[in-house]
Amino acid sequence: MPEILQYGFMVRALIAGLLIALTIPLMGSFLVARRYSLIADSLAHVSLAGIGAGLLLGFSPVLVAVPVTIAGSLLLEYLRQNKRISGEASLAILMSGGLAIAVVLANLARGARTDFSSYLFGSITTTSMSDIVTLLIATVIVLLVIGSNYRALLHIAFDESSARIAGYKVSLLNYVLAAMTALIVVLSLRIVGGLLISALLVIPVITASRFAKSFMQTVIIAMVIAVIAVVVGLVLAFYVGIAAGGAIVISALAMFIVSLLLKP
Amino acid sequence: MSSAKTSPTSVPPLHASSHVLIDADDVSLVIGDTKILDEVSFCIHSGEFIGLIGPNGAGKTTLLKAVLGLQPISNGTIERAKSTIGYIPQRGSMYDSQVAISVMEVVQLGSRGDKKVALAALKEVKMADSAGQRISELSGGQQQRVLIAKALASKSDILILDEPTTGIDERSQDEFYAILKKLRSRGIAVVMVSHDVDTVLTLVSRVICLNRTILYDGPPEHFEADRYLPRLYGRQHRLLHHDHKSEGDN
Repeated sequence: MPEILQYGFMVRALIAGLLIALTIPLMGSFLVARRYSLIADSLAHVSLAGIGAGLLLGFSPVLVAVPVTIAGSLLLEYLRQNKRISGEASLAILMSGGLAIAVVLANLARGARTDFSSYLFGSITTTSMSDIVTLLIATVIVLLVIGSNYRALLHIAFDESSARIAGYKVSLLNYVLAAMTALIVVLSLRIVGGLLISALLVIPVITASRFAKSFMQTVIIAMVIAVIAVVVGLVLAFYVGIAAGGAIVISALAMFIVSLLLKP
Repeated sequence: MSSAKTSPTSVPPLHASSHVLIDADDVSLVIGDTKILDEVSFCIHSGEFIGLIGPNGAGKTTLLKAVLGLQPISNGTIERAKSTIGYIPQRGSMYDSQVAISVMEVVQLGSRGDKKVALAALKEVKMADSAGQRISELSGGQQQRVLIAKALASKSDILILDEPTTGIDERSQDEFYAILKKLRSRGIAVVMVSHDVDTVLTLVSRVICLNRTILYDGPPEHFEADRYLPRLYGRQHRLLHHDHKSEGDN
C-alpha cells in the first residue's frame, strides 16, 4: 500500500476530495453556462463569515456556516431575480462583506487563527469522518436533484426565458441550485479552502469545454479533470507539505494551460 | 375568447383560420412615468404570419414579452388558448456560451428529451447533419434554424421571433424565411418583429405597426407606407425616401 494511504487523515481527505470533484464541476457546468461563475466565490466568502462565527461562539464552524451560507445564497438569488441590484454587484457586495465579517470574527476568536487559515486555503489534516458522511449525503442530494431536473436546469442555464415559457419552475430551481452550491461550498472548505473553491468550479468546466461537443461531454470531462486535480493536489500537499487547496487549483490550472497548448 | 378583434385600422386577417390563439385586450404598461404600451388590442389566429414593425423604443419586444407572460402588464388582459409557444429572442449570446452544448441537446430541450422528435425537427430545417455539432460553431443563420427546430420539436402552435435575421447574410435570410412560410402553411402562427420593413411586407399575411399603441393592423397590401413609415422612422426614413426619389428623377 502506498505510504500516502497508510494515514487515516489522508484517506479521508482523498474520499472527501473525490466527492467534491464529482459535485463541483457538475454544478459548475450549469453555473458557468449561465454566466454565474463567481457565485461560488461569493458564497465561499459568506461561508467564511459563518466559520468565523462558529469559531467565536465555540460551535462547530461548519454547522454554523451551512445555514449562514444557504441564507446568503437565497439572498443572492432573490436580488438577482428581482433585479434589485445587478447580479455582478450583488456578488461583489456579498463577497467583500462576507470576508470582512469573517476576518473580524476570526480576530475576535482568540487562538483560532491557525484553524481559520485552514478554511481559507484548505488542509489535508482536518477532514473528519463526520465531514465525509455529511459530504456523502450532500453529494447524493445534489446528484438526485440534478438528475431528476437535468433537462429543466439545462434549459434554464442556456435560455431562461424559454424555460419559463415551457412551464418549468424556473425561480424555484434557481433557488435550489443556489442553495446546493452553498451547501457544497461549505463542505468543500476543509479541502479546497474558501479562497480557492471557485477555481475548482470554473477551471475544469472551461478546460473541458475546449474539447467537448456537448454539455454532457463537458460535465464528464470536467469531472475527470477535477478528480485528477484533486488527487494530484492532495498527493502534492502530502509530500511537499503545501496547502491542499493551492495544490489542487494549481493542478487544475496546469491542465488548463496544457489544453491551451493542445488547442490554441 | 372572442374570435375577432378590431382596432381603428384593423381588417380581418386574410389567410387565417378563425381559431384564436392569443387575445390581447387593452394592454397597457407603465414603468415609472413612461407609458411603454398604451391600450394595445389584437388577436393572433392560427396560421397567420404577422409582421410586427415599429421604431426603436416602440414597445415591440415588451409587447412580445407580455404576450409570452414574461412581462407583467399594468392594465388590460392577455388570454392564451391552450397552446404551445416557441420563442426565438433577438439573436445574441444565448447559446454562444463558454460551455459547450450540442445542436441535438438544444433541440431536445424542445422535445423534452425525445431524440426521434428532435431529429425529425432538425431534418425539417435541413440541419440533421449538424446534430452532433456544437451550436456555437454554426453560422448565425444555422443557429436560428436550430432554434426553429427546437420550437418545432416542442410542437409549438405559435412561433414568436424577435428580429431573428439581424446580422445574418442575405442567402441565409432567404432560407430562413422559406422555413417560416412552410410553418405557416402547416397552421403554425408566426409573429415576427423586424426592422426590415420591405421584407416584412412581402412575407407576412398581416402587419401590425406599433408605436406604443397600434397605428395599423391589417394586410400588408393595404399598409400605407407613406402614411406610417415617416412617422415610424422619422427624418432618417424621409431622407431615404428623398434619395430614392432623386434616383428615380435621374
